[in-house]
Amino acid sequence: MKRISVDIGGTFTDCFFVWDDQYVEAKALTTHHNLALGFNEALDLACRRAGLDRGTVLQEVDSVRYATTLGTNALIERKGPKVAAIVTHGFEDTIPLSRGRGYGEGLDYSMQQNLPAAERPEPIVPRRMIRSVKERVNSAGKVVAPLDPENVREVVRELVDAGAEALVVTLVNATENPVHELAIQEIVLEEFPAHELGAIPVLLGHQVSGRKGEYVRATSTIIDGFLHEIMFHALSQLSNNLRDSGYDKPMLVIHNSGGMAQMNSTDALQTIHSGPIAGVGAAEHLSKETGLGHVISTDMGGTSFDIGLVPEGGVKHYDFLPTIDRWLVSVPMVHLDTLGAGGGSIATYDRIHDSIKIGPESAGSNPGPACYDRGGLRPTVTDADLLLGYLEPDNYANGYIKLNPKRSRFAVEETLCDPLDMDVLDIARAIKDGVDEQMAIGIGKELRVRGYLPEDFTMLAYGGNGPLHACGVARHAGIRRVLAPPFSSVFSACGAGNMKQLHFHERGVHVTLYNPTSRQLYADYAEFNAVVEELEARGREDLVRQGFAAEDVKYRLELDMRYGNQLLTQAVALEDINRMNGVADVLAMIRIFGDVYSHRFGASSAAPEAGIRCNTVRVASYVDGDVVSFESLESGGERTVPTEASRRDVVFIGHDDPISTPVYDHSALTHEHVVPGPAIVTTENTTYLVEPGWRLEPTRQGAVWFLQD
Amino acid sequence: MTTIDDRPSTSLTPQEQQWVDKFMDETTLFLGPDPAIMRDHGIAPRSAREERAIVAGVDRLQVERIRKRIAGALDEGYEMCEAQGAAPGAKWGDLTTAIYTAAGDVSYLSCHGVIAFSAILHHPIRYIMKYWKDEPTVGIHEGDGFIHNDARFGNIHNTDQSMIMPVIRDGEIIAWVAATIHEGENGACEPGGMPSGSETPFDDGLRMSPFKIVERGQLRRDLLTFLQHSVRDPKLQLADLKVKITAVRKIMERVDKIIDEVGVDTFVAALRTTVEDVDVEVRRRISELPDGTYRFDQFMDSTLKENILIKFACKVTVKGEKMTIDLRGTGPEILNRAINSPLCSVKSMIMQAILAFWWPDLPRCTSAMSCIEIISDEGTWADASYDAPMGQSLQASFRGFSAAQALYSRMSFSTPEKYSNVVANWFNQINTFLWGGITQHGDTVGNLCADLNGMPGGAKPFRDGEDAVSPLFCAMADTAEQEVMEEEVPFMQLVSKRLVRDNMGFGKFTGGMGYEMIVAAEGTPQWGFMTVTSGSKFSSIYGMYGGYGCGTYPLAMVKGTNVYEHIRRDSGKFDLSIEKVMNERPFEDGRYATSHMGLQFDIAKDGELYMISQGAGGGYGDPLERLPESVVKDAELGRISQKAAEEIFGVRYDAETFRLDVEGTRAARDAARGARLRRGKPYAEFCAEFVTPEPPKDLHYYGSWGSDTDDITATVFTIDGPQRVTAPLKELPIVMVPDRREVKIARLEERVRELEDKHGEEVRRKS
Repeated sequence: MKRISVDIGGTFTDCFFVWDDQYVEAKALTTHHNLALGFNEALDLACRRAGLDRGTVLQEVDSVRYATTLGTNALIERKGPKVAAIVTHGFEDTIPLSRGRGYGEGLDYSMQQNLPAAERPEPIVPRRMIRSVKERVNSAGKVVAPLDPENVREVVRELVDAGAEALVVTLVNATENPVHELAIQEIVLEEFPAHELGAIPVLLGHQVSGRKGEYVRATSTIIDGFLHEIMFHALSQLSNNLRDSGYDKPMLVIHNSGGMAQMNSTDALQTIHSGPIAGVGAAEHLSKETGLGHVISTDMGGTSFDIGLVPEGGVKHYDFLPTIDRWLVSVPMVHLDTLGAGGGSIATYDRIHDSIKIGPESAGSNPGPACYDRGGLRPTVTDADLLLGYLEPDNYANGYIKLNPKRSRFAVEETLCDPLDMDVLDIARAIKDGVDEQMAIGIGKELRVRGYLPEDFTMLAYGGNGPLHACGVARHAGIRRVLAPPFSSVFSACGAGNMKQLHFHERGVHVTLYNPTSRQLYADYAEFNAVVEELEARGREDLVRQGFAAEDVKYRLELDMRYGNQLLTQAVALEDINRMNGVADVLAMIRIFGDVYSHRFGASSAAPEAGIRCNTVRVASYVDGDVVSFESLESGGERTVPTEASRRDVVFIGHDDPISTPVYDHSALTHEHVVPGPAIVTTENTTYLVEPGWRLEPTRQGAVWFLQD
Repeated sequence: MTTIDDRPSTSLTPQEQQWVDKFMDETTLFLGPDPAIMRDHGIAPRSAREERAIVAGVDRLQVERIRKRIAGALDEGYEMCEAQGAAPGAKWGDLTTAIYTAAGDVSYLSCHGVIAFSAILHHPIRYIMKYWKDEPTVGIHEGDGFIHNDARFGNIHNTDQSMIMPVIRDGEIIAWVAATIHEGENGACEPGGMPSGSETPFDDGLRMSPFKIVERGQLRRDLLTFLQHSVRDPKLQLADLKVKITAVRKIMERVDKIIDEVGVDTFVAALRTTVEDVDVEVRRRISELPDGTYRFDQFMDSTLKENILIKFACKVTVKGEKMTIDLRGTGPEILNRAINSPLCSVKSMIMQAILAFWWPDLPRCTSAMSCIEIISDEGTWADASYDAPMGQSLQASFRGFSAAQALYSRMSFSTPEKYSNVVANWFNQINTFLWGGITQHGDTVGNLCADLNGMPGGAKPFRDGEDAVSPLFCAMADTAEQEVMEEEVPFMQLVSKRLVRDNMGFGKFTGGMGYEMIVAAEGTPQWGFMTVTSGSKFSSIYGMYGGYGCGTYPLAMVKGTNVYEHIRRDSGKFDLSIEKVMNERPFEDGRYATSHMGLQFDIAKDGELYMISQGAGGGYGDPLERLPESVVKDAELGRISQKAAEEIFGVRYDAETFRLDVEGTRAARDAARGARLRRGKPYAEFCAEFVTPEPPKDLHYYGSWGSDTDDITATVFTIDGPQRVTAPLKELPIVMVPDRREVKIARLEERVRELEDKHGEEVRRKS
C-alpha cells in the first residue's frame, strides 16, 4: 500500500505517509494563503524521511486523502457568495428566526443561559434575500397548493436582481415529495441556463438532507451553497497542485460521516470537522486491529478538548443534528463532543464560592497564556503546567514558542493569590487538578448517557496537551489505562489513511412498527423495502460514479427508532437484516432496538407499550480498501528503566513538596523500557507527564502506555 | 350550686392541648397544603448534621469539585429526560433535574432547563418530610419515589410532574434528587393541561399532592393505572414516568459514588455551603442597589372568557442588604375563572427573573430568593386560596416575572457592576395553539405547539431586542420543526413563524418582533384548538424609558369554509396573513370573526382557519431618537409600515426607492417635539385633569386604585347584577363571574321579549 494522508489544521499541516511497510509522520506550518505550499512542505519532509522524491511518490501512490478545516474557517470568516433562498409561503422568517435555540447554538453554557445578552449570529442569508413561493405539500407528500410557475419566475428574477450568487430552494415536506423543488430548479435553468453568463448554482434541500425538519434542512443547504465555491476552488487548487506534481488519480476528501469520497461526490457540509473525526476513525481502526476493547479518544489542544466514542463491536454514535459554527444542521456526523477546556483555559476567582473557576473563557493562541509573553495577563492551564515544572520553557511546541514563567507567576499572583489566600503553587495545583477533573466529568457524562462506564474504557490521549494531562484526567474518570497512540502527533492524518469510501443516504419515514392503540405490528413490507432499495441505489450510484464496480459495493441498514413520541431517535444498525420480509424481521428490529435502548438507559427504561416507531431509514454504502497496519500494543513483560536525560523539581497533585523528577527523551525509549512515575518524557511535539502511581511503557510505532500501578 | 360566673375555663392545660391535638390528628379529614410550608420560601436553618459537618471544616476546593460532579450528574439526568421524554415540553427543554438538602432546599439545579423550579420544589419535599416520613402507612425507604403535580403543594403549574427520591445513608435521609417535566396533558377539562375554561379546581385535571408511587424500587402498577385512566394520553403518562424514574436513578448512582468517595459529612456540608454561599452573595448584590422604593403595576385585560381589567401590583423596597417585594393591592381571586395562581407559583417566576435576568451567573439555589421578603395577602389572583381554579395560573405568575424583570432594570441601571444587560420587558404571554383530538394515526392526544417559545426579547439601551427568541422561563428552549409536528398531528401551519408588520415595541431601540401562525386541521375525525392569552385589549408588555410596549393582538378565525379546497382550486388564494385574510376576506363562504385570545376548546373542521400572533418585546427610549437609517431599513424589509415610520418615528423617505429624506425627517421630528411641548403641562395640572377617584364606571375593574393598596376595588355579581365594591381584601365578597352562556341566553331572551312586545306576538313556550 502506498498512500498519502493529510490533515490541514489551523496551525499545522500533518502528513501521514505510507510506503509499503514504511510509515512516516511529518508536520509543517499551515500556509493559509495557499494551502498547497504547506501541503508540499509536509509532504517533502515525509519524502525526505523515507528517502524518496515527491515526483516518484505522487506517481506511485494509490491515493491522496485530505481532511480539511477549510469549510469551518470560511464559515467563521463569512467568506462566501451572496446566497438567496426560496421557501414555502408562510415560512418566510423560518430561516432568520432559527429554532428556539438559535441564539445560543455553538456558544458556551454561560452565554446560552444569559438571556438578556441573547443575540442571534449574523445571518448567512439575510431576510431581504429570502422569498416565498405559493406552494404547499403536506406531511404525506400530497400537493395541497400547486406551484405557480409565473410566481416562481417573478421571485427568481427579484433575487437575481438583488445580487444572488447562489440559490437555495428548501420547501416544506420536499423530502416526501420534491416535485416543487425540482420544478423550481427547472425554471431557474430555463431562465438562467448554465452556459450563460449570470448562471447561478441551485441547491435543492431534499438533495442535501433527506430528513424531516424544514429549518435544519434549510441551514444545511445554505451552508452547502455558501461554502460550495470556496471549497471547490481550494480543493481544485490542491488537486491541480498534485496533478502538476504527477499525481493523476482523483483526490479523496474525508467526510465527517467517517467515510470519504472524490471531490465530485462531496458536499461542502460533509467536510466540516473532518480532521478531528478522522482521529476518531483512527481510534476505531486501532482498537479493532489491536484488541483494545472500548476506547474513548481525547484530543486536548489549546482551546478545546474533543471526546470521541469508540465502543467495542463497531457500535456507531452519530449526531444527526450537529451544530456547525453557530448553526444547527441536518447531516449524519460522527459524534464528537467538544469541551471548552484546553491549555488556554483561563482561571478566575469565583467570589460566590471562594474558589477557582476554570474556563470556558480561553486565551486562545492570541494573546495566549500569560507565559507566551504576548500580552496575556490572566493565568491559564498552561501557566499552571509551567509553574508546576511540567513544561520546559525553551522546548515548548517543538521550540516554536518560548515560555516565560515570570509572566505565569505574576498572572496568578495578581488575580488569584490574594482573594484565595493561597500561594502560587497551591493555586497552580488547583488549576491543573480542576481542569483534569472537568475533562474527566465530560468523559464520564459522554459515556454514562450512552450506557457505558468509564472504567471499562481505554483512553487515547493525543493533541498538544493530551499526554501531559492524561494521567490526571484518567485518575478522575476512573480509567486505569491510557494510550498515547501510534503516530499520535499526526493521528488524525493517520485516520484519514484508513477511511473507506462511504456514503450515507437517508429518508424520513413514518413506520409504526408497533401501534399500541390498534395493537398491530407493521406489515407493509413492500413499502419499507422500496425505501431501502432506493437508498441503496443512490449509494451505489455514488460509488459507481467514482469507478467502483457495483458488485463491490456493500450496504449497512440503519434505522432511527423511538418509543411513542420521544424526541430521542436511537440509531440502530441492523448488521444482519437488509430487508423486511415478515413478522420475524419486524420483531427482530424491535428486539435489537430494545437491547440498544436498555443498554443505554437501563434495564427498565424501555417503553414499548407506548408504541415503537421508525422515523428515518439510512443506508451506508461503502467499499472496503487497504488499511494501515497497527502493530501489537503489548505492555508489561520484562522491562528496564532507561537512563534519565536530566532531572528537575516538579510539583505533583497530592504531594506537598516538589519532587526531584527524572526527565527522559522519548527518542531514547524502546518497547523494552518502563518509566516509573513520577517522570517527564519530552518528545518533539509534546510532553508526557507520568504522575506518581503511574508508569509509562513505550510500545510499537511510537505509542506509549500510561498504566496505573 | 354552680352559677353562671363559675363557668369552667376554656383555656387548655398542656395535657389537654395534647389530647386535643391527638384527637385532631386522628380525625383529620384529609391533609391539604400546609400554610407553614407553603408561605415560606426561605432556606431551612442548618440541621444538626449540617452544623456538625461544616464546623468540622470545609475544604472550599473540594466542595467546588463535588459541585462540578453533581452538576455533571444532573446534566446527564437532564439530557436523558430531554432525549427520552415523550411530552413536547420535555423535547423543548421545559424540565429540570435537581439535588436538594435533606430539608428540601435546592442546592443545585441542572445547568439547562427551567430555573423557576429552584424556588418551588422544596415545598413538596417539606410536605413529605412532615407528613409522610413518620406516617405508618407511607414512610420513606430506600428506593421510594414520590410523584407530585398540584401547584397548591408547590409547583409552577399543574402540567409539571415531578419524581422525587430520597438519598438515604444508614437509615438517615441526607438529600433528595428529583426530575420534573412539563408533561402537558393532565386530564383537565380541556386538553393540554392548561385549561382556560376551568371554573373549579376539579376542572384543572390531575391534582396530585405528593404521594409515593415507587415503593422500594418498584413502580406501583395500581397507581400508574389510575393515573393513566385519568388523562387523555396514557402512553405519555407511562413513558414519561419511566423516563423520570430512570433519570433520577442515574443521578443517584453518581451521587452515591461521590458520597462513597468523600463521605456523608463532606457531601452534606457541600450541599449546605452551596446554599449558604448563594444566600451571602445575594445579600451582597442587593446592597449594591440604590436604596429606594420602585413600583411597577400591570393589568390583565381578561378572565380568558370576559373582558375585565385586573391589577398585578408590585412594589420593591431596597434598604441596605434587605429587599422587600410587596404584592399588596393586587386584584382579588375570581373563584370560577382559571387565571388564579398560588403565591408559590408567582414566587417561582420572580425567581426566574432573579436567576435568568438579574444574575444569570448565580448558581440555581433556593437561597437566591431566600433573603428577599415577599409580602402578599392570601385571596388575590396572585395568591389564590385552595378553592380557586388555577388552570391558567401563568397569567398571574408571568406577571410576577415581568414586575421583577422591569424593576431590576431600573434598580440596577446605574450600578457600576453589571451581571448582564439592562433590558426592557420580555414578552410574557403564551401565544400558541393548544390542541387535542384524534390524530391521523388514530391516537387520542392533547397538548400544545412549541411555538410559544418564540417570545420576543426586550430592547437594550444599545441594541434592538431579538425577534421571537426565547421563552422568558427557559433559556435554550427549542421550537418545533413544523414538518415533524405535521407528521404527528392532523393540522398544518399554513403560515408558520412569519413576523407581523408593526408588531414591535417602538423605541430608540425596538423590542423584538413576534410572529403570526395560521393553522387549519386536515384529515381528522375530531380536532379542536384553544388559546390562552391575554393582551388583546390592554397591552401585556410595557416599554422602557420612552419606548413603547407591545401592541394588542386579536384571535382571528374563518369558520364555515375549507381553505384547502380553495387553494387547491386556485393557488392564488394561498396568500395568507391575518391582515390580508381579515381585511380582504378572500374565502367567500367563510364566517370571519375576531375576539380576545381566550378561546376555550373549539371544534375545528377541516380547513377552518385559526390565526394568532406572538406579541412583542418592549422598546427602549424615545422613537424620535432612533437612527433614521434604521427606520428606513425596517420599512424596506416590511418590518414597519410607512405610517409607523412617519407617525411614530418621525421619518420621511421615498416609498419607492427607500431613500431617506434627511431634511424632511429633521423637520418632522422637530414638529413632533414641538407638539409634545405644546401638549405638556405641569404635573399638578396633569393630575388634576387625569387622576380620578375610582375607575370608569363601566369597567369591570379589580385591584387597588392608585397608590393606596389598603382598599381593593372589585365588581361583584349579585342577584341584582354587577356592583362595584371597594373594601379591604378580607372584607370583599367572593368574586364569581356569571356563566357567559347564561348571560348570553338571558340577553337573547330579553331581546326576544322586546321584539315580541314590539310586534304584539304571543308565543307559548314549553319550558
